[in-house]
This record gives sequence, C-alpha cells and structure tokens, in this order.
Amino acid sequence: MTQSIAPAPPLNIRGLTKTFGSTTVLHGVDLHIGPGEFVGLMGPNGAGKSTLIKILDGVHTASGGTIRVGDETVSSLGGRSDVGFIHQDLGLVESMSVLDNLRLGERPLRTFGPLLDHRAERAAALAALERVGLTWAVDELVAALAPGEQALVAIARAFGRGARILFVDEATSTLPVADAARVIAALRENAAQGATIVMVTHKLHEILDATHRVVVLLDGRLAADQVTAGMDRAALVDLLLQHEAAKVERVPRGADTTAGRDGAAPVLEISGAFAGRAGPVDLVLRRGEVLGLTGLPGSGLHDIAFLAHGSLRPARGTVRRGDGVRVAIVPPHRETQGGFDHLSVHENITLSSLGNWTTKLRLLALGREKRDSAEMVERLNVQPPGIDTPFGVLSGGNKQKVIFGRALLQRPAVYVLCEPTRGVDVGTRSEIYRLIEELRDTDAAVLVVTSDSEDLFAVCDAVAVVEDGRLSESRPIEHMQPADLEVMV
Amino acid sequence: MAARGIRTPAPAPAGAAQAPAPSRPARPAPSLRRFLARPEIEGSVTFVAFVLLFAGYGIWLGSSFLNIDDRLLDVHQNVPILLLGLAVMVTLVAGAFDLSVASMATLTTFLSIGLASKDGWPFGLVLVVCLAVGVAGGLINGFLVERLGVNTFIATLGTSGLFVGASKVYSSGTQLSPLPGHELPTWFTDVGSFSQKPPAAVMWVAVALAAVAAFAALERLKPAGRDARSWTVARVGIVAVVLLVLTVAANLPKIVDRCSYLVAVTIIVGAGMWILMRFTTYGRYLRAAGANRGAARLAGVHVQREVMKAFVLGGVLAALAGVLLGASQGSAAPDVAAGFLLPAFAAAFLSTVVFSTGQFTVWGTIIGGIFVVWTSQGLIIGGVAPQWTDVVNGVVLVAAVALSALMKRQKA
Repeated sequence: MTQSIAPAPPLNIRGLTKTFGSTTVLHGVDLHIGPGEFVGLMGPNGAGKSTLIKILDGVHTASGGTIRVGDETVSSLGGRSDVGFIHQDLGLVESMSVLDNLRLGERPLRTFGPLLDHRAERAAALAALERVGLTWAVDELVAALAPGEQALVAIARAFGRGARILFVDEATSTLPVADAARVIAALRENAAQGATIVMVTHKLHEILDATHRVVVLLDGRLAADQVTAGMDRAALVDLLLQHEAAKVERVPRGADTTAGRDGAAPVLEISGAFAGRAGPVDLVLRRGEVLGLTGLPGSGLHDIAFLAHGSLRPARGTVRRGDGVRVAIVPPHRETQGGFDHLSVHENITLSSLGNWTTKLRLLALGREKRDSAEMVERLNVQPPGIDTPFGVLSGGNKQKVIFGRALLQRPAVYVLCEPTRGVDVGTRSEIYRLIEELRDTDAAVLVVTSDSEDLFAVCDAVAVVEDGRLSESRPIEHMQPADLEVMV
Repeated sequence: MAARGIRTPAPAPAGAAQAPAPSRPARPAPSLRRFLARPEIEGSVTFVAFVLLFAGYGIWLGSSFLNIDDRLLDVHQNVPILLLGLAVMVTLVAGAFDLSVASMATLTTFLSIGLASKDGWPFGLVLVVCLAVGVAGGLINGFLVERLGVNTFIATLGTSGLFVGASKVYSSGTQLSPLPGHELPTWFTDVGSFSQKPPAAVMWVAVALAAVAAFAALERLKPAGRDARSWTVARVGIVAVVLLVLTVAANLPKIVDRCSYLVAVTIIVGAGMWILMRFTTYGRYLRAAGANRGAARLAGVHVQREVMKAFVLGGVLAALAGVLLGASQGSAAPDVAAGFLLPAFAAAFLSTVVFSTGQFTVWGTIIGGIFVVWTSQGLIIGGVAPQWTDVVNGVVLVAAVALSALMKRQKA
C-alpha cells in the first residue's frame, strides 16, 4: 500500500441537536476530528450513535447545530465524494463480481459511444482494492468472499470514489474474529496514509488496538472524548459505564456450582448426531447447568443449537429430551429469525406460550395476556415500555430483550441462547448475564451458543468448542484462560 | 495529534441516566399533531376520504345516491365478492395467496344448482357437499404449496383451471337452470333474494354486539393522562353519540330493517372471521407465519400446518360464496365468478389502508369492498357509462393505497 491519501479536511461538529417529536436524542454534541485521525465512537444502544451517523449521512436532518468540513458549512456529508459511509449492510450485490460492484454507481468509463472501457475500469478497481490488499479478488463474485473480505470491498469502493473521511458503522460486529481483525488492520493502515476514520463499534479491543481517540455517547450527550494510547480495558469499561449503576460482574464460581450436578438426570442428551454442518455431536445437559458452546461461524455452531432446540432433526444419531422437557430458543440472527417487525411487542413476546391465556372456549384472554406481557416488559426493562409498540422500531438490544422474554414466558426446562449479547450495549449485556444466572438458580439448563468469549467467562460453567462440525469434550471454565479461546475462536 | 483530556459531560443528577430528563421544559404540546400521528387515526384517513367522497356524491346526486334500499342492493349483489375477498385475505395474512378462489366459487355455484335440481339431492346434503369440495380444494392447494413446495402462483393458477374445468365437465359446458319439477327449495332462493328480509332482531343483535366491540376497542385509544373510570364514561358517551348520529343522519333503523339475508350472512361470517383472527391462537400464529416465516418456526409455530389451514379456510369461504351466488342467481352460467377474482383481491388489499396501517383486516376487506362498489355506482348514477366500472375500481384501489403510502413517507 504505497498510495498516500491527500489529507482530509478537518471535520467540525458544533452543538448538534436532534429531536424526534418530544424526545431529544442528541443534546448539543461537539466533536472535532482532525485529518488522519482514527476515532472510535462508542455508547449503549439508544445513546444516539446511529442518529449521529444518520445526520452526517443526510438520512436525518439535524434540529440544531452546525457541521463544517474545512471552511465549508454543510447540512450533511451525504453525497460528498470525499466522505464515505460503511454500514452494517454493506450495500454490495452478492451475485456480481467485485469489479462490477466497484463500478456500480460510478461515472462509466467509456471507449467509444456507449461501449465501456474495461481496461480503465479494471485499473481503477485494482487501485482501489490495493488500499485494502484485495487485488487478487477483483474478478471474484462477492458471494464467494469471506464476510470480512466483503467489508473490505465496501471500504475499497468508498476510497475508490475519492473518500478521505470514512464512517464505519458497526461493520465488524457480525464478523468472525479473524475477519474483523483484517478489516481493522486495513482501516488502521489507511488512517496511517492520511485518511480520517470514524468507527462505531461495541468491541472494546478494537477501540484499544486501533483507534487514536475514543468518543463515548451516553443518552445523546458526549460523555467522554479521550486518547486511547495507554488506556486499558478496565478504564474503557469505566468510561462506558460511568452512568450505569451496575457493572459487568464476573460471577465467582466455586467448585460447588457443578458439584452434585453430575448425579442429576440429564434433560437433554445428544449422541452421535449429525445435522447440517454439525456432527458428530455428543452432549449432555443437566438441570442447573450453564454450558457454553463456541466456535467459528460456519463451523456448524448454530446447527448444534437448532439440533438441541428441535427445529433441526438429526440426519444420524439421536437427540433425547427428558419427559415433558420444553426447549426454548433465542435465535442467533435476531433481525431475520427473531421477531416480527410489524407485530406489536406483546404479540412478539407471547407468541410461543399463547396456550397460557386461552379460555375454555379456546379464545384468547387478551386482557390477561397483555397484563402478563407488560409485566415481562417491565421485568426486562424494555425501552420504550409500551407493549403495543411495533417490534420493528425497537433498538437491537431491546429486540433481544423481547426475544428473551418470549423464551422466559415458555418456562422451559432448557434454554438455548444463541449469541445472547451480539450487538447489545454493555448495560444490556450485564442484564442478560444476570438473567442467565437467575435461570441457573431456578434449576433450568442453559446452552449458551456464542462466538463471544466474554459470554463464556461471564456465565458458563463449562465450555465445549466446535471445529468443522465436531464438538469437543466440555471443559470446566476454571481451567480455561481467555487466551485459550481467542486461539480457538 | 494534540492530547485531549476527558471532557466531562454536562452535570447530571445521580440516577438521571434512566429518568427521562426531568429538567427539560416540556415543549408546547403539539397535541393535535401527535393525535393525528396515532396509528388508529392515521389508519382512518382513507376511510374518512371515502366518507367525504360519498358526502360529495350525496350533494351532487341527492336522493338518487343517498337511498338506503339502492345502496343495500349494491352490497347484496356484491356479497360473493366480499366473501371471496375474505377468502383471499386469509391466505394473504399467512404470507401466501390463492388465485383459485373465484374458480372454486364457480364450481360450487354449479354444484349447488346442479345437484339440487338435475340430480335431485336433498338440499342439506348439497350444502355439505359444496363445503366439503371447498375443504378438498383448499387441501389440494395447501398440499401443493406447503408440502410439495410448488410455487404458489403456479399451484393456485393450476388448481384454478382444475376447479373451473370440473364445473364445465359437470355441466357439459352449458348453463344450468333448475328444471320444472326439480325446483330449488324456496328457502334457498329466498336467502338469495333481496326482497326477503331476515328477522330484524338478528340485525339488532349485530348492532348491539358492534357497539360493545367498539366500546372495548376504544380502550386502546385512552389518552395518557386520563384515569380509567372517566375514560369508561367517555367511551360510553362516544358509542352513544355515534349510534345517535347513525340513527338521525343515516336512519339506522331503516338500514337494519332492509338488510337482506346475504348481508346478514356476510356480517355473521365477518364476525366469525374477526374473532378467529383476533381472539384465537390460530389467528396469531397465522399472522406470525405471514410476518416472518423463519422466526415463527423457531418460536414454535407449526407454519406448514397453519398455512395449510388458511388455504382450507379460504376454500370453504370461496365455496360458500359460490353457493350464495347460486342462491341469488337461481342458475349457474359458465365462468359465473371468473370476474370476481380481481375485485376480491382489491377488497383484501384495500383492507390494509381502511382502518389499518399495513395489515390485512376482516372488516377492512368488507368495508373496502363495499366502498369500491359505491364509488363506481355513484358515478354510474351520475351518468357515467357502466362500462367504466373496472376503470373506476382500478383507480380507487391504486389511489387509496398510494394515499396511505404517501402519508407514511411524509411521516418518515
């Protein structure tokens, strides 16, 4: 990567305010970002990060304040060729090649009349891909690339269009660890070449490893703006939790938590099972036990979750559940598998246990159903608390809480929790951990299927690792170090 | 890069993180705008637009449009379309669709006339057979779509040909009329006739139930500040005022008096469907399956089974529509219901904008279907040639849905 980038103009945000109806989501945010800076933007779900990005992108209009690029006052940065935005949805056409994707929406390079100049297009694409070290992929279909490489293509496209300031909005949150690291490395390298990068993320290590500064938004206010050099993980957590009463607790686990469990009859037993990409899977789950499963995406990790839940039948082998054992699942992809955007929160939360509210005439007792929904919504602190709100308008963390609520209302003996803390803020994360502890205390069995090692250390008694569909023996968590899992995951 | 210190946030009282910032002075409440932005109000805009249109017709055409008997006759004649609209709606809610409902109605029209007159079966048996044919047709559709995974469009287009073809085979391709000595039972033709009226008590019970349901539904509209008791009183008042206005302005007693059997059947079927969709687990499962199939499956809904049931229910409603068509026509002509398919779909899609923001509803389908008919009838009374009906229907459907899409975009 030899190209250097013409220094980006400084970005000056003063007193940026946004109100929706009677709620203010941004209270006069001031932010100065100099050329070549790599800034991390953090904050809980609903703190205003997305709103800030959307105002800068021109999706929303600010209610007050100014945005200046260099000496120019602008209403948004959307549509400027020197500013690029990378969203979680990368906006790539998967069935087209990398080259075609890079050319989409660009001014066509032509030889003669309507004929395209393929050679010039290719040269431009290669120049853009070189910034992210992906020149080999120019003719590949986007669908054939790893998720991290797809993100790199999106980044190359932004730079190819002349971006000098890049906003990256949680583009790494669903990536496998190794892929995310590649994306971060490419961003850091481009920052070193003079590009300005602003990255929204929930991942602490990305902030600590890559960024120069971290900006924390809390309740729509700028709560911290601090240099990351010399900052450690604990200090960063303190910044994020400065308003939270509760901090992430590591629950002390003595030897007694698992003692005696072995004697209990298993509620779920999978032996020699193959299904989807998973297999062979051997697993025993007992009451009062929290078992963690982890592995790379694509390893068959989630297939094991569906196998345990019963929504996937084994092609070979057996899955045995104890008598009358109900299994509830929190699916891994909450946007597509979790909820029903157009149905209300209460319809979402009660769907799996509607039998609880049917009368003798087989009609639904709506009053009772709504009362119990409201109770659950309050217990899980879902925001906003109205149960008639459409599910689709909730933020990611609150969607997750509603899906948890649906599982809780089933009162199952076994919980299968897939990626329980994916994309949720630190506060919600600790609430979810507390909830899992409660489940253990009520003698439920919990299977935590996750690619986030923090989940494993926070709540699991034992951990098993999936590699190429094969599930390892489970090991007590006390015998594991974070480094063990970072290597495996 | 210049070193920066921590910028302390604006001092906030302890524990303010959760509280909704009490210090901020409340803005002058734009209560009217907030009221208009409520989904219930937003969803009524199309309804209000139609009512204003009919008021305009009333001013323009006077008593030739504002004539209870004529307008009820419009409804009476379109009951098969309304029932087909409900048949279509059930599968649409489930995230599927059914192009075969009109053909099913044609088939059962032939069966009800033919079996009763040509073959001389007892009429009760004829009814049972017709409804069973509806169940069978729905099972075929459901099996093709859900079990075999045939594309819904192709499957229901194919069975549409199958049903209408069966009617032609049965009738040898000709019109079927009752022969002398094999007349249809009089009670059956009475049900289909506009001049025969059901006992007024039945209709009054329906009005009373509607008032009770409206009273219950208003609970949801309770303004935030109001206490429950005063809102209960207000609800009683609102329902009473609406009933009074209907009585004085629309002559409710006369409407109730003039309703035909077919209109009564539509109201009863509509009430049954409404209860099914709103107050049973089945209705909830069906909506969940239609909203997000994968999520519904993971949440424990037997998606295939529920959607198959929706096809069966659609088939039964279509069969009923055919039988009632036979009752009102007294004979069966080839392809008698073929032209009803698109109006039925139009009614179902109108339900997403009449009293609703994007969801298919039972009463929206019925009312939307009636409104479309009245819109074109008004123009015909005003002198527009009847062949313009289809043009008007198309314009009304597109305009109503476009209006609501436009409002949604304005809000965003």
